[in-house]
Amino acid sequence: MADFKLPPSGLAEEILPELGKEQGELQVVTFSLGEQYAVPIHQVQEIIRVGPITRVPNAPTYIEGVINLRGRILPVINLRRRLGLPERDLTKASRIIVTEVADKTVGLLVDSVSHVIKLPGDKVEPPPEEVLDIDSDYITGVGKLQDALVIMLDLERLLKREEEVLRRVEQKEG
Amino acid sequence: MDFSELLNEYIEEALSHIQTVDAVLLGLEREGFREELIQTAMRALHTLKGNSGMMGFDSLKEYIHEIETQLKRAVEQRGYERVIEILSDSSHVLRRAIQKIQACPDEPLDFTEDLQRLLGHRAVESSSTVEMSTYLGKRSDTIKVEFSRLDELLNLVGELVIYKTRLTQIETDLKEKVTDKYLVKELKETLDVIGKNISALQEGIMRVRMLPVRHVFQRFPRMVRDLSRAQGKEVELRFEGEETELDKTVIDELGEPLLHLIRNAIDHGIETPQERLKKGKRPKARLVLSAAQESNHVLIRVIDDGRGIDPEMVRARAIERGLLSADSPISEEDILSFIFAPGFSTKEQATDISGRGVGLDVVSRSIARLNGHVYVESTPDVGTTFTIKLPLSLAIIPALMAEVGNEIYAIPMNAVEETVKVKDTDFNYINNREVVRFRERVLPVVRLDRFFGVKRRSNGRFYLVILSKAERRVAVTVDRVRGQQEIVIKPLDETVGKSIGIVGASILGDGRIVLIVDVSTFFERKEVVHG
Repeated sequence: MADFKLPPSGLAEEILPELGKEQGELQVVTFSLGEQYAVPIHQVQEIIRVGPITRVPNAPTYIEGVINLRGRILPVINLRRRLGLPERDLTKASRIIVTEVADKTVGLLVDSVSHVIKLPGDKVEPPPEEVLDIDSDYITGVGKLQDALVIMLDLERLLKREEEVLRRVEQKEG
Repeated sequence: MDFSELLNEYIEEALSHIQTVDAVLLGLEREGFREELIQTAMRALHTLKGNSGMMGFDSLKEYIHEIETQLKRAVEQRGYERVIEILSDSSHVLRRAIQKIQACPDEPLDFTEDLQRLLGHRAVESSSTVEMSTYLGKRSDTIKVEFSRLDELLNLVGELVIYKTRLTQIETDLKEKVTDKYLVKELKETLDVIGKNISALQEGIMRVRMLPVRHVFQRFPRMVRDLSRAQGKEVELRFEGEETELDKTVIDELGEPLLHLIRNAIDHGIETPQERLKKGKRPKARLVLSAAQESNHVLIRVIDDGRGIDPEMVRARAIERGLLSADSPISEEDILSFIFAPGFSTKEQATDISGRGVGLDVVSRSIARLNGHVYVESTPDVGTTFTIKLPLSLAIIPALMAEVGNEIYAIPMNAVEETVKVKDTDFNYINNREVVRFRERVLPVVRLDRFFGVKRRSNGRFYLVILSKAERRVAVTVDRVRGQQEIVIKPLDETVGKSIGIVGASILGDGRIVLIVDVSTFFERKEVVHG
């Protein structure tokens, strides 16, 4: 299993292009929310430091706000809040993973970004049924690293789920 | 449609039909007698005949009709030479006729000689007398551009505006650190020039994106005719000011709300001819779509001379729907605005036009999305006027920058009446609602800090921003007012949900994002209905 150390900046896009060329194994970006999580590298556009975030009043609580990414206004999801994990203050290691899924660009606020790794298929297992409920089908599997487990997220499902939640909320209000 | 524009279209089309005839001629000369080729020419001529008749060029229409007759006969007799002769002669004649129309469309055309030649009474004119340039056709002075390209350009300009402001800031910072005064001065001068150019560029692109409202008005004559016929009503549809221009994005979004208003006018406003006669009105109702520019706005009106809206019925319905308490003191003008309230409409019948029952609240909401608003005036038995007030441009608007706690919000200037400084003690409560006295009126108060859940800086003073919508006023409290600024509106991604009170966002010169306040929200809320 290849393991790429990120450059000191923690900005993965500096090494993303060369990684993208290799095919076959599943390439993921791993990040920390206490536990280790991972998203497929093809869904990651870039990783940026946390700058000013404009709060959006009356938005769902997991929306941290909006950021200005080179003139584009992107929503940022607080992934801890979205996944129901305990809150944690921003640190110097905090990053926003800019993801592009189904024509949408969304930032994910995470504690820190760890590695870009290649996971051979046989190191990924389906998630144990006991940890799943109806709202967590965005967990697609568990990757086994030498010393830890990573929870694999499907962002498309996560974002879709979000739309459904929003719709439900709106229906209740209507 | 403007006649001159119709004429241009006609001319351009006519030339292309004549080109088809020329192409057929070439084909016939190369491939010999082929009936399907001649059919192609006949079709082109036939269309040209129809168009010419529609434009009122009757002599031209008759001439083409004669060409068709002669061609048909020649084909039946398999007179190959004759077909070629007819086509080549008429192609010249037609080209010349179109040229004449282009030069002076009002002058009558005379085809007497051409007809005689066509009927074989005169010798065929040699082509040397035809102006050579007629072969080239009319040079087109318009091009079609995909709108998304203009959108990209506008986005780029928006970014230029942002970075230009950033540069100005850098220049200010540099002034303190750089000792070479000359260099700083030169930087400033260059920046000024760039700034002017960017403004000109921005304005130019905005202008290119503008279209006359005619483009949306034109969609309705057919609908009005079908709808009024289906209901046994007589309606004369009139356009006024249809050359008024609006940003294309606004034009695109305008169709649906207008459709609802027009349908509403025909369904509920306009009476049957019998009913109108009884009232002493003309049996044929008049429906006017008008557009006019007024300073920074465009006003679009749907005016009918139908039965009008009865304020008492509106009041009764509003009370019945729980939108209004029975003892509310409320003026007649204000009462009418209830027809835009969500849940007011009871008309659930689906019609051919929309396929679903939609109330006027939908109209109000879609206009609010365009940063405009809609209001209604009506006199029973005289008629109803719906007015849609829209900003000239959807993309760039002047806004008041207001601070609330540590946050900045942009309030679109089109709704801002004025701003005043007040103290906490100026507020009162009436019936549990906070109000403030302002110029002899008692206005409902919306505290923006509470509305947006912001912690405000605790001092007793703040500003009131008086917002207006038609006759209604609302006072919104903010901590400080930073002044006016042109902002580029960017929509918020739907991922952030329906953030109530926010209509979009904009990026300031320092890269900071400000949210744009959706003013109409403050007027929608039940508790701020009367002002």
